[in-house]
Amino acid sequence: MPKIKIVEDDLSIAEELKQTLENAGYDTIVTTDFNTIIEQIKQEQPDLILLDINLPKMNGEVLLQQIRKENNVPIIMVTSKNNEVDEVLSMSYGADDYITKPYNPTILLLRIGAVLKRSERPIDKFFYRSLEVIPQKGILKTNDEEVVLTKNEMIIFLYLLQNQEKIVTRDELMTDLWNNDEYINDNALTVNISRLRAKLKEIGYEEAIETRKNQGYILHE
Amino acid sequence: MNKKNYIKDKWLTISIAIVIYFIILLILLAFKVNYQATIAISLVYLIGIISILVMAYMRKKKFYQELKEKLDSLDKKYLIVEMLNEPSFLEGKVLIDSLYDINKSMIERINTYKSQTQDFKEYVELWIHEVKLPVSSLTLMIHNHKGEENKKLLEQLSRLDNYLEQILYYVRSENAEKDYLIKKVNLSKVISNIALKNKDILLEKGIDFIVSDVNLEVLTDSKWLEFILNQIIDNSIKYSKKQNAYIKIVAKEEKDRVDLAIYDNGIGIKKEEQPRVFEKTYTGTNGRTGKKSTGMGLYIVKQLCEKLGHKVSIKSQEQEFTCVRISFLKNDYYEVAKKETT
Repeated sequence: MPKIKIVEDDLSIAEELKQTLENAGYDTIVTTDFNTIIEQIKQEQPDLILLDINLPKMNGEVLLQQIRKENNVPIIMVTSKNNEVDEVLSMSYGADDYITKPYNPTILLLRIGAVLKRSERPIDKFFYRSLEVIPQKGILKTNDEEVVLTKNEMIIFLYLLQNQEKIVTRDELMTDLWNNDEYINDNALTVNISRLRAKLKEIGYEEAIETRKNQGYILHE
Repeated sequence: MNKKNYIKDKWLTISIAIVIYFIILLILLAFKVNYQATIAISLVYLIGIISILVMAYMRKKKFYQELKEKLDSLDKKYLIVEMLNEPSFLEGKVLIDSLYDINKSMIERINTYKSQTQDFKEYVELWIHEVKLPVSSLTLMIHNHKGEENKKLLEQLSRLDNYLEQILYYVRSENAEKDYLIKKVNLSKVISNIALKNKDILLEKGIDFIVSDVNLEVLTDSKWLEFILNQIIDNSIKYSKKQNAYIKIVAKEEKDRVDLAIYDNGIGIKKEEQPRVFEKTYTGTNGRTGKKSTGMGLYIVKQLCEKLGHKVSIKSQEQEFTCVRISFLKNDYYEVAKKETT
């Protein structure tokens, strides 16, 4: 599980953030001592850092520069300072993303996922059972057959695939779609899912997506 | 200052001069001074008085005329003190010295208010950032504890956040100093952020969000633009119809500018109210009936657009549609400067 370090001086937010991230399957470390952050990072080796700009005794941007001097760990700046100057500064100091409070937790998780994925090797191929998934071409391939998915169907399928055996809510799917600039409505989501199901059925994966009433969908392994 | 006014102004001097002249005449008569001498004395006296008046007139005329001309040509009248030459007569000197002192004390007074306003602005900004912390905390709590009322709670939180943003940008827009940063921004990125921000309410109300051809770059401050568009979308949502509602965002590139249109098929604005929608605290019929409106949203939008150099206009037909258009001018200088540096 990726390990995320939370550097946030508002205890209530830090606590809730920890819970949100742990529910989403991440390990978390909440920072309590703000004097030795650099040393802590060396020791703990987190996979990603959520860094607040307003810290006691220290500016998050300065800290960001110090971390960047010796470490390439992905950093997302989280702040209530909603202005361009701070964002541009943070990005130029080497932050990977910049999110303003209050944020939608689902979007925060998406952004974290995106930053973590970016720091891995880029993957242009996924596998589902014996199915080959090629997102760039929108193709699902078996040994002898292939089906073409629309952009929306592919976004939905990839999200389900990355959360296999977990209940994925309609809201999560919707957020992911909207995050990819596909501003569809509820009906369209239903239609897209049934088309996706139909296409999976064509190549023999009829029971792959299960509907959980009032909860969401599960892609079975 | 002209001759007539000057003579009018000097009526006391002139009448005293005349009275004295008659007294002199009487004295001359009483002493039986001969006729020629009387005329000679009269002439000398007359020439003396007239030349005193004319000389004084000339000196003052030069000074006051200069004062008036410069004052008329000045945009900021209080700068006049710096522009006048030292006058050659006493009254003028007194005037200049007084103006100088008045100016100085006024500047001190203004500076006091300025720093008070600045302090206030800084405090409000700080306060807003502080308030955003509990709002973030609440948002996370609601996310972590799934419950039936979640949607309603989130909706209220989002309202709260909207009001906070409004005051933040109001403070920013009213302030003279520049706290924005203009750079190349892709419209689709800004629209994507707003879409995500308003996703829940759009889906809840069944409003379709249609975006096309927005993959264009404009020169703006992305945060400010995000606020501007969010206010406009917020209005579109607030004044949407119950059935088949949609919001459509289209951008179009022209030779000298990029136009962004936000179109909705909502309840529209009465024709006679349209020219006033950008006025401060103006709430039209729509804002007064049922839907609460502060009358500040579009006012702040206009202020911010003016600062950023964008043009904003509104077109509407009652019960049919509302369309807000923002024009981003292309800046050739920026392009040239960039080419030269690279």
